[in-house]
Amino acid sequence: MNALVPLVVLLPLIGAAAALVTGRLPRVQVAVTVSALTLALAVAALLLFVVDSSGTLVVEVGGWAAPWGIVLVVDRLTALMLVVSASVLLVVLFYTVGQGLADGDDETPVSIYNPTYLILAAGVFNAFVAGDLFNLYVGFEILLASSYVLLTLGGTRARIRAGITYIVVSLLSSLLFLASVAMIYGATGTVNIAQIAVRLQEIPPDVQLIIHVMLLVAFGIKAAVFPLSFWLPDSYPTAPAPVTAVFAGLLTKVGVYAIIRTETVLFPGGALSNALMIVALLTLVIGVLGAVAQADIKRMLSFTLLSHIGYMIFGIAIATVAGVAAAIYYVIHHIVVQTTLFLATGLVERIGGTTSINRLAGLLKLSPMIGVLFFIPALNLGGIPPFSGFLGKLGLFVAGAELGTPLAYIVIAGGALASLLTLYAMMRAWNVAFWRSQEEFDEHSSPYTATLAEAPGDVEQRSTREAPRLMVRATAAMVALSIALTVFAGPLFAMSLRASEDLDGARHYIEAVLPGTVLPEVNR
Amino acid sequence: MLVVLAAFFVVAALIPILAGRLGNRIFYLTALVPIGAFAVVVLAAPTVLAGGVLTEGFQWIPTLNLEFALRLDTLSWVFALVVTGIGALVLLYCPRYFTAHDPSVGRFAAHLTAFAGAMFGLVLADDLYLMFIFWEATSVFSYLLIGHYNDRIASRGAALQALLVTTAGGLVMLVGVVILAVQSGTTLISEIIAEPPSGGIITVAVMLMLVGAISKSALVPFHFWLPAAMAAPTPVSAYLHAAAMVKAGIYLIARFAPGFATTPGWQEVVILLGVLTMLVGGWRALKQHDLKLLLAYGTVSQLGFLTVVTGYGVSGVALAGLALVFAHALFKSTLFLVVGIIDRNTGTRDLRKLSGLGGRHPALVTVAVLAAASMAAIPPTLGFVAKEGVFTALIDEARSGRPLSQIALYGLIAGSILTTAYTARFLWGAFASKQDVVRTPYTDHGRGMFVAPTTLAAAGVAFGFLTPQLNHWLSGYSDTLPPGATAGAELVLWHGLSPAFGVSMLVLAAGLGLFWMRDRVYRLQSRVPALVDAGRGYWVSMRTVDRVAARTTAITQSGSLPAYLGVILMVLLGTVGFTVIINRSWPPTMLPFDHPAQVPIVVAMVVAAVGATRATKRFTAVLLLGITGYGLAALFALQGAPDLALTQVLVETVTLIAFVLVLRRLPIKLGAKHGTAFRVGRAVLAASVGVLMAVVVMITLGVRSAQPISLQFPALAYELGHGRNVVNVTLVDIRGWDTMGEISVLVVAATGIASLIFIKQRTGSAPRLAEDEGRRGLRARLKPLTEPASSRNGGAGDAPDGDQAPSQRTWLLAGWTLAPHNRSIVLEVVVRLLFHSAIVLSIYLLFVGHNLPGGGFSGGLLAGLALAARYLAGGRFELGAAVSVDAGKVLGFGLLLAVGTATVPLFFGMNPLESAWWEGSVPLLGHLEFGTTTIFDFGVYLIVVGLIIDVLRSLGAEVDRQQEEHAAIDSTGPIMLFGERSTR
Repeated sequence: MNALVPLVVLLPLIGAAAALVTGRLPRVQVAVTVSALTLALAVAALLLFVVDSSGTLVVEVGGWAAPWGIVLVVDRLTALMLVVSASVLLVVLFYTVGQGLADGDDETPVSIYNPTYLILAAGVFNAFVAGDLFNLYVGFEILLASSYVLLTLGGTRARIRAGITYIVVSLLSSLLFLASVAMIYGATGTVNIAQIAVRLQEIPPDVQLIIHVMLLVAFGIKAAVFPLSFWLPDSYPTAPAPVTAVFAGLLTKVGVYAIIRTETVLFPGGALSNALMIVALLTLVIGVLGAVAQADIKRMLSFTLLSHIGYMIFGIAIATVAGVAAAIYYVIHHIVVQTTLFLATGLVERIGGTTSINRLAGLLKLSPMIGVLFFIPALNLGGIPPFSGFLGKLGLFVAGAELGTPLAYIVIAGGALASLLTLYAMMRAWNVAFWRSQEEFDEHSSPYTATLAEAPGDVEQRSTREAPRLMVRATAAMVALSIALTVFAGPLFAMSLRASEDLDGARHYIEAVLPGTVLPEVNR
Repeated sequence: MLVVLAAFFVVAALIPILAGRLGNRIFYLTALVPIGAFAVVVLAAPTVLAGGVLTEGFQWIPTLNLEFALRLDTLSWVFALVVTGIGALVLLYCPRYFTAHDPSVGRFAAHLTAFAGAMFGLVLADDLYLMFIFWEATSVFSYLLIGHYNDRIASRGAALQALLVTTAGGLVMLVGVVILAVQSGTTLISEIIAEPPSGGIITVAVMLMLVGAISKSALVPFHFWLPAAMAAPTPVSAYLHAAAMVKAGIYLIARFAPGFATTPGWQEVVILLGVLTMLVGGWRALKQHDLKLLLAYGTVSQLGFLTVVTGYGVSGVALAGLALVFAHALFKSTLFLVVGIIDRNTGTRDLRKLSGLGGRHPALVTVAVLAAASMAAIPPTLGFVAKEGVFTALIDEARSGRPLSQIALYGLIAGSILTTAYTARFLWGAFASKQDVVRTPYTDHGRGMFVAPTTLAAAGVAFGFLTPQLNHWLSGYSDTLPPGATAGAELVLWHGLSPAFGVSMLVLAAGLGLFWMRDRVYRLQSRVPALVDAGRGYWVSMRTVDRVAARTTAITQSGSLPAYLGVILMVLLGTVGFTVIINRSWPPTMLPFDHPAQVPIVVAMVVAAVGATRATKRFTAVLLLGITGYGLAALFALQGAPDLALTQVLVETVTLIAFVLVLRRLPIKLGAKHGTAFRVGRAVLAASVGVLMAVVVMITLGVRSAQPISLQFPALAYELGHGRNVVNVTLVDIRGWDTMGEISVLVVAATGIASLIFIKQRTGSAPRLAEDEGRRGLRARLKPLTEPASSRNGGAGDAPDGDQAPSQRTWLLAGWTLAPHNRSIVLEVVVRLLFHSAIVLSIYLLFVGHNLPGGGFSGGLLAGLALAARYLAGGRFELGAAVSVDAGKVLGFGLLLAVGTATVPLFFGMNPLESAWWEGSVPLLGHLEFGTTTIFDFGVYLIVVGLIIDVLRSLGAEVDRQQEEHAAIDSTGPIMLFGERSTR
């Protein structure tokens, strides 16, 4: 069973290599890419089953024992993240294929897109399975390098501009992360996460705090936590729709995942909980205000994306088993729903020629199907029951209320406000873009949208009046997946809770990687 | 119950599929669901009315205690009857209300059926969270139904308004619900009510929940959304905004009153807001000209009334209150449906335009009058019975002299007077013959529309005579409340000449008087300005949200990269700086340096770095950056890591070449400088962050107590890794997984560069002569290369032409492809001669790397440098001649080798990347150990080479080509990357 662990990273890499070699045969390349990701998904699902039934898997790469070699660790949290991200990556791939085939480009941009996409997948998976802090950094580098390429695909002026912001900020965050790794190595003499967790307990708490804050700043940029988040809305929305969908769904969540690990394995005990609560509150409120101010749906979604990162940070800040469990469920929900919405917006762009609600009208009449595919995830994102957005929020609120501190209640209030304003932004877009008739649009402008900010450098795309079927189906599959998160919320929440129990106090993790370690008592 | 509940949603989902075929008849089909549900509820009567409860359900999310628990008790039973009964009748009313062949009918039927299901679930749910789920679901379906005429701006606005107001209330309520559930330790409403918790936090929770109820039931200050929601089709108004959704708040209050009516603040909120709403609604109703709006304000008024009586918390009042809920649902739906008939048959709802309907349509008038009688509490209707009951109980309560009870009594009396007045106004407005108004034309659309209102109106009268039964049914709920001042209160049609009857008659007289003086009242109303316009309040607050959002976002999203970086660095400085300041663990001693040579190197690096930021030319900046890189290599060398130093030097060189290639297409000077204040600020920030990092490194190194793992590496590398070069063994074996990741980064980087430059096409090698193209094409391609050389304008005959065109066999291609002033024959020859030696050396480095400085990385870099030299000396066709394979394939094979080395051991049950060894002696190289790690390293080698080919091919060759192309088209100046014209 251990062999499954490296396979989840190796499969996409092999796929990428094969895709590079078969660059001149687009159809073969697509087949290779699809099979690599399908297999990776199968492996991830199998891992989830194995880990959930028989405990954490640890693989020592090259046979080098921990702490000297690199270990790959799959516990329930990792397995969950793997399954969700592999599913999303696969569905988005189909969407891309649908788009590419429809565009009639036999060569572009598939020959670049597919291998890069697979390496991105490998990077994401590697970040999840890394049991070694430096290898986590490598995972980040892989996914970031791929994301640079995907973001600037096509090399248009807007994308280059967005790419520069994105790349420079990402490099800064990587630099900070790398510096933190160096400092941790300086203080503890190791990069094995489990061993770091043990040795950090032995160094003075004030130095622990310095390292703790350094790491959080580095991960905070990646996770787009206020005020380290300004880069995101300026970079994500310019990419092609499926790329934005994957970035929005997955990349920030890798940062959140790293924060979860930091707060549970490396620094258990919630030393910075109150600070994180305040950060969560600001992220929630300021982010959603950004969404309210946008006319462009993609940009608006980018703001809701960073706003909702606040929910996850809140769950982490609660620092109880229930809080972290709710955060995990929210992460899963948010990966799915945010991706779905960006895909649906891609369809909107296709039939409407733009994503600005100032220039969209009559979409419901044009395509009721796309209407449904937009409406359901929009409600979901707005936290309307019974969708997963509501359930995640409920879990967070319950955990917060159980904690019962005044600050927790304030963040709950902020979370409720963010939810309402998200709904406002989404339904306003629905009102104008889907409900408003084309005739009315031709006659006069809407009072709702006159003051909204347009995306910079926005160019009207050609519209086709009808979206390719594969794209619509892929989006429908994502919507179905998001509904499954509601239907199977019981087992999923239970799984999140078990994942969170695994993390509690780092004990379980350390014992899995370094059996027999004598642990000092953790102050909780 | 579960099955019935599910049926609503299943049918709703199927309707859009069936609607196309059935047209308006779809409603008959869908009506079967609420009819079935109604039957189920009626059949449950014996159990429920005998004081029993029916429960059903399953665990949904045990982790959150979220149980799909349904429970049918008396209160639920009454509401469920209303929801399903009226739901069925309204659906039966619809087919005639809509014009035939209306394509939106399917959507409408689906939404309405789903709404009925949500409402049914809401009144049955026993789990707090489940109730909230249905609560919000009703808001969403109401949004869709209000916005049904989605091409009308008013409909859309009203729909969004209703959604936002009710959801805002709902979210506040959610917080309350969560607190209540967490504090009670259970989510089951029945358990919470049975043992209500108390305390300060519970009071807060209950108040928050009341906010939800108030917003849903359109009480002041949220009342404005309900009249606006009249933009919906009339069946929606009759169902959602009279019988069902707005009653959700009333239901919640009634549901929690037995447990929480004594919570501090409950009575104040319920009574004061209820009375205020009743008065405001009634007052406004008297102003309306649109019959539907008149009824809407009447509903607002009645909701205030219902809130007072259901929330009062005493059994006598609650009994009457529940009867009133029932009565209101019957008469208000009837009246809305009557308005719908009038609207459909005359085309207007404006009471100033309607005239003379009364005389012509006795059936319609009868139905309306019966319902109106119930609304105005005229005997023997159910409305009268209920209101009598309320007055009886409240008069007893008011005797205690408690101010709140007094307010409730007198407020309700005043509100009832208004109710009578607007009832009269309604009947008059709809049916009277008015002077100066022409008789309204009327087209009959069939009897079908009369079924629902007639049934409902008849029920309203019939129940007036069924008071003993009502007492029996409803007391199951009211008995859960304390008796208050009146013991054994019950509903009776004829109390005798009691004070309550007196009050009723007084109300009737005063109300009719008010109607009689309607002109004067109307003039008075137009003189009194609306003190608070809540609808405007909504508008203003939404615009404020928009404005605040726009301002905040304008501040945070400046779009300036330096600003974003500045914020990040300041956050770093603020947070990490703070932790450093409070830090007490400083290292006791410090070593200034390990080796004296480090000092000048570091100084040089610092100077170069600072210089790079101050450079005015791009090229200078790049060179200065190079110095920091070489300086780092020197530091590595001093630390005893020749391998790292070698790699660093090679990397730095390749980077420089890449930079220089790119710089050709960028303006020479760096961009405009900003003001000095900015520059100083940024310099201070940068310096502070630098110092901070240094200090943090100092602190962290100072606290180390454990042995670093790297101390074991040399021994591990030699004994287990079969290599003396610990760096190489680390790279390809101990931490080979990292290397695998890093080389995939290289692959991506190569692909990325190619993607940016070629944009459309990734595959292909560097351009080669006579490849793929016919002679003609070749000549066309070569032409611009040779032509621009102005010195050669006379020698056109020298250009490759016809049979003389160069083939790949030519040793020095540049003679054919480069303009002479770009050539250096000596360089070309030297490079050509050294090339193969360099390649051999690079392969040597690859193989010896395990024990000596070298390895795939440095080997690959060297090979790449050799290629770069070929390109720099001979131009792009020379590069094509040197490497004829597709860079993508080189990268792909390299990656395949490396990843394959990691994967294959898995098939042998080993760990990934686990190495295997063979020994032997090879001529020239001597005794060699060959391990799978070398295959891995060869993968690294290929990828590095592939990367450099891609760099040269795109940043070099392709940029050359583009440049020449542009120069050929337009020779006015250099062209910047991405087609931007230089502004130099």
